[in-house]
Amino acid sequence: MSDTVLEVKNVTKTYGQGDTKVNALVNVSFSVKRGEFLLVVGSSGSGKSTLLNMIGLLDKPSSGQIIIDGTNTTSLSDNQVSSFRNLKLGFIFQFSNLLADLTVLENVMLPQSIQQRHNAAQEAATLLRAVGLESQMNKRSNKISGGQAQRAAIARGLVNKPTIVLADEPTGNLDSVTAETIIQLMKSMAKKLNQTFLVVTHDRHQFGDVDRVITIKDGRAFEGEDQPHKMEITI
Amino acid sequence: MDYRVHLAKRMLTNKKGSLIGAVLAVSIGILVIHVNFVIFQGLYDAIVRDLSSYRFGDVRITDKESFITKSDIFLVNWFERIPSVEAAAARVESSASINVTKHGKLIEEFRVPIVGVDPFRDPRVSTVHETVTDGQYVFSRNSLVVGSSVARDLGDIRIGESLELKVIDRHGQDQIRRFLVTGIVSSPGGQGLDTSVIVHIDTLRDMLSREGETGQVLVRLNDPKQADNVKEYFLQTFPNDDFRAETIEESAEDALRGFRSGIAMINMIGYFGMMSSAFAVVTIQMMLVSSKTREVGIMRAIGARRKDILVLFIIQGMIIGAIGASVGTAMGLSYTFYAKETKMTFQGSLPLQVSYDWPKIAQTALTAFALAVAASIYPAFKATKLQPVEAMRYV
Repeated sequence: MSDTVLEVKNVTKTYGQGDTKVNALVNVSFSVKRGEFLLVVGSSGSGKSTLLNMIGLLDKPSSGQIIIDGTNTTSLSDNQVSSFRNLKLGFIFQFSNLLADLTVLENVMLPQSIQQRHNAAQEAATLLRAVGLESQMNKRSNKISGGQAQRAAIARGLVNKPTIVLADEPTGNLDSVTAETIIQLMKSMAKKLNQTFLVVTHDRHQFGDVDRVITIKDGRAFEGEDQPHKMEITI
Repeated sequence: MDYRVHLAKRMLTNKKGSLIGAVLAVSIGILVIHVNFVIFQGLYDAIVRDLSSYRFGDVRITDKESFITKSDIFLVNWFERIPSVEAAAARVESSASINVTKHGKLIEEFRVPIVGVDPFRDPRVSTVHETVTDGQYVFSRNSLVVGSSVARDLGDIRIGESLELKVIDRHGQDQIRRFLVTGIVSSPGGQGLDTSVIVHIDTLRDMLSREGETGQVLVRLNDPKQADNVKEYFLQTFPNDDFRAETIEESAEDALRGFRSGIAMINMIGYFGMMSSAFAVVTIQMMLVSSKTREVGIMRAIGARRKDILVLFIIQGMIIGAIGASVGTAMGLSYTFYAKETKMTFQGSLPLQVSYDWPKIAQTALTAFALAVAASIYPAFKATKLQPVEAMRYV
């Protein structure tokens, strides 16, 4: 099994045409190793969420390649992309984005239910116990607190044992104490499961020690934290 | 249970207003068709029932050219030997002139249909005797039962008064006879002999100089569905007698043809109503899809395929269709039950002949279900077109 789980190669994303053309990402390249806890930081509008959408296959790059677990995702069909997202990627969003119509347990089961897996409830319950939500499993997802919802979202992101978990400002909607708990939970799960995490945040300091940091500035990616002398990453 | 079924159920139950609106749209569409059916098919069947009961029987035998010359006793006995025949009776029909006089002075002369009945056999094939509202049915050779319309035209003639009738016999001679008014008939809906006068069959035969002849033989069946078989059997048995045998539908064709077209049009209007319900379902489903944009985005993000989203919203349509069809059918059956039990009439008209047409009830429910599902296809298709990254912005 290759040690590299994600390769972003010369990814450019352009919106609009002619005078209104905006380069959201310019020739972004980097790779991520299995088990890494990677932060993607940058100021608002720098292009970090756009990058996450590309890696999460929610949007397509204008040029370049995104290779996940050895598969070049840019050539996948719509159905293949859906299956790929389901099996290889886990998502944690800023607003947890649980389905209000389902219970906490059913939300965590959902990625496996999409695959019609029969033991989905069992695996989801195990993960919910691991994130400390055992007593909230059967509550409707809109009846729990923001911190609990984000814990459930982490469980949902992990339930399919994805190659990489993508988190978009996972603490952006939480108070500082809850945010700290969520960060510690993600870090502990990453360690315990040897799970790769790619976390987009605008608040670098909240996360403390992490394996790696990539900074996005004006659509370009730099290794390490934002410093004027940093060199642009090229592969 | 498939997660899409589970999620579709939850999404609908959490949007009770939309669910109730969509279910009502479907059920009211069905109810309209049931009400139309009860009223218009009920009216049609009531007219058939009354025409059969009062005038034509289930099978009517006439002569192609003129009067039946074969003995009516022979024919009646022949029919009554058939197991599916309940009874048979002969009638003679013609027209008569009535002079209206006051203080011995002729005021008016008008013509009315005159029916000669066998007072003993006729009540077994016809219910005209049940429409006597005053006095009694024909019981002797000089008794006369007057239709309510005729009685009115005669200045509200009363029981016990006498009346002179003039008919033209087979030789073209006027035959005048005085009768005693013994009864007045009036039928609900006016399909009976309200515009005729009724006399003893032998009296009319005498007046027409047609002793032993018969105008028509009415046959009442135990099972009206056997009418065609009885008719065919009769025609095969008497191939050389110039008989005409007609079922009630054939006898009353002229009266019913226009009505049948009317029913077909009313049914069309009912189905157009159901189409309107389908448009309501489209609108409500579009609203449901709009309100679930974020959820669709989340599902797509975590790996649901376009097909899963399509199936999810079509299942919603199936749930709406199933509940709507069940509720609508239950409402329709309740209305039908009420109409049947109360022998529903409108403004003293004839009571509707209400029946449960199960194939039509099933067809209506299935059509409504299919329309609700079809109405969900476009909104479901629209939902599949949502791009996850766009849908996720609706937080």
